[in-house]
Amino acid sequence: MARKPAPAERSTAPVRKAAVIGGNRIPFGKAGGAYASAANLDMLTAALTGLVARFALQGERIGDVAGGAVLKHSRDFNLTREAVLGSGLDPHTSAFDTQRACGTSVEAVTAIANKIALGQIETGIAAGTDSTSDAPIVVSDRLRRTLMKLSRSKSVAEKVKLVGSLRPGDLAPVAPSVNEPRTGMSMGEHQAITTRRWSITREAQDEVALASHQNLARAYDDGLFDDLITPFRGLTRDQSLRPDTSAEKLAKLTPVFGTSSPGATMTAGNSTPLSDGAAAVLLGTDEWAAERGLPVLAHVVDAEAAAVDFVHGAEGLLMGGAYAVPRLLARQGLGLEDFTFIEIHEAFASTVLTTVAAWADEEFMQTKVHLPALGELDRSKLNVAGSSLAAGHPFAATGARIVATLATLLRRAKDAEPDEPARGLISVCAAGGQAVAMILEAPAAAKDGDR
Amino acid sequence: MAEQTLAAVPSLSSLYANALGRSARLMVRPLTQSTTLPDVVYRVADVPVDAEQLVSYQRVLGDVAASDRLPAGFVHVLGFPVAMAVMAREDFPLPLLGMVHVANRVDQLRALHIGEALEVRAWAEHLAAHRKGTQVELVVEVTGSATDGVAWRGRSTYLARGRTLPGLPAAPETPSAGTAWGQKLPQPTAQWHLGADTGRRYAEVSGDRNPIHMGSVPARLFGFKRAIAHGMYTAARALTAAVTGGAEVFSWDVTFGKPVLLPGRVAFAVRPAGGSGVSEGTAAGVEYLGWNARSGARHFSGSVTPLR
Repeated sequence: MARKPAPAERSTAPVRKAAVIGGNRIPFGKAGGAYASAANLDMLTAALTGLVARFALQGERIGDVAGGAVLKHSRDFNLTREAVLGSGLDPHTSAFDTQRACGTSVEAVTAIANKIALGQIETGIAAGTDSTSDAPIVVSDRLRRTLMKLSRSKSVAEKVKLVGSLRPGDLAPVAPSVNEPRTGMSMGEHQAITTRRWSITREAQDEVALASHQNLARAYDDGLFDDLITPFRGLTRDQSLRPDTSAEKLAKLTPVFGTSSPGATMTAGNSTPLSDGAAAVLLGTDEWAAERGLPVLAHVVDAEAAAVDFVHGAEGLLMGGAYAVPRLLARQGLGLEDFTFIEIHEAFASTVLTTVAAWADEEFMQTKVHLPALGELDRSKLNVAGSSLAAGHPFAATGARIVATLATLLRRAKDAEPDEPARGLISVCAAGGQAVAMILEAPAAAKDGDR
Repeated sequence: MAEQTLAAVPSLSSLYANALGRSARLMVRPLTQSTTLPDVVYRVADVPVDAEQLVSYQRVLGDVAASDRLPAGFVHVLGFPVAMAVMAREDFPLPLLGMVHVANRVDQLRALHIGEALEVRAWAEHLAAHRKGTQVELVVEVTGSATDGVAWRGRSTYLARGRTLPGLPAAPETPSAGTAWGQKLPQPTAQWHLGADTGRRYAEVSGDRNPIHMGSVPARLFGFKRAIAHGMYTAARALTAAVTGGAEVFSWDVTFGKPVLLPGRVAFAVRPAGGSGVSEGTAAGVEYLGWNARSGARHFSGSVTPLR
């Protein structure tokens, strides 16, 4: 009988690093725009089908697929598995749904990468999709509870009493609220408070927004997205992208958040637009990639999640990145200067700025994060191919967009300068005071016969 | 004090109806009774807790997850009619209708749970002269199934405006709502969007159908422009928002300021007790403040302090 390795031997075996092999997404649409009639399942299937075509995975059984959506219809309980069945992958490919608000597909990448690292699977796909145009509108809580009681009630008198308890207002449909359930405030209202607390100016925010549009437009012109995007429903570029916007145009916009007190700075121009879209990332072992002649763009090095107490006002809702990133860097013994590129999700331009300011603030870092400050960030490394302000932000798709884009950028950087390390850092804030951070690193390019 | 056992928790509706009748009678024949509080403790044994009512209460209060633990505000709802019955007595020296709830304190010594047989005792004490009238405290004590004594004690302070009784001690001066927060309003940590039906919804789950909460027409009869939110609704929402996780043993204070007119938007802030520091954590308890998001008028303030 073949002897299985003892647990002790297994635990000392080096953990494999999962490789990001490639990505595919559809261009992101504006709410009510090009994908107004597309559902989450349509978009996720389109992103997966594009990935299958790009990497010749037709009929292949992938180890596992993780995906999700933030605004999700209850009928989509098996959204990712349904998308797999329509994608051209082997129908024996398993899939599961996952969700961590705007960090959903970073979390999906982490889950798949961990399975690969532990030797449970050889390859996997992480994905996300969201539609604000086809949001799951539901009946009111009172109508739903009354309907459920009606179906359980036995006597006519009881039914009549239940129907009589309804008020006209209970019959109105309810759109999903993106307000925080515990505070009743929108993300924008929360971030407006954080923006004030850190004294972030309107000009600084508009500068981030302008750079996002310019960088994304340049990345399209440079052909970066030729390997990353498959057109969908007539859209070839992100619908929110305005290559011709200017500081003057952004300066003209009226503030929309934090307007209850004077000096509001957050506008539609420096806040993320509501969007529709989907994105997917292909991961695997180096060997699995080599067998198929596929590249290893980057390895998933490590990931960290954090959450803050925004309910009691102790911290800003979207400041999780100020905690997740320092903890992650401390564990890896790295500093900001060790990274070639840094991706901070632009929920709002000011989220980027408050996060960066917090990393550099010695007092904040000592008293709240209990770690040394990270120092000033070299802005030339930040969101070099644009981010959510220009691309749009279909909540659960954003993480997969960032991972695929960053891995591609790192591969190029490593190939250009093979002797320099090419590391990338990701920070994505999420509802509920959460954030996820991740480190990617491009290995030296594989040569034939290397292994 | 003599203890008198009631067969069941009195109906608030009939207490209000009686009080209306009494007010009408008093218009004809002015009050000539004693100036002391009734020397009686009302007791109701085996107060039932209705699971449906509990869940409805939790939903209305915006508890994100309803649990089997009775919220401290819900226990107030259970005991309130017994206190009302004391105030509705013919020999109670102040008129029930028109009394204003100015402050409330609850000491929760242990959490009560659904399925416990509750016993409620209620009495009035500390009748005192206030510069605006006469104030009185209604005390409610609730015990659960265990033989560990009082689990919950509430002390509600009411003011009968413009009514003076001879020979009363002066009530201690208490700071008005929000004094501890200073002049400048803080940044809100939450916003409450209160619909026009907020009073009716809370009335449904609390049984407190005082006309001033039910709509603008009845509210106008009592001198309010529009319906006003129940004070204990705002205080209980503040408790829900202020307490983290499993706090079970605490003292919960509230002082009421300007009433919340419905519909309305209430800005709400919570901070660690004892000042503005944000990083000290909430181990020593929290302070909270509610104010009108537009005018800045202070509706209520209070604190939640862990006991033991």
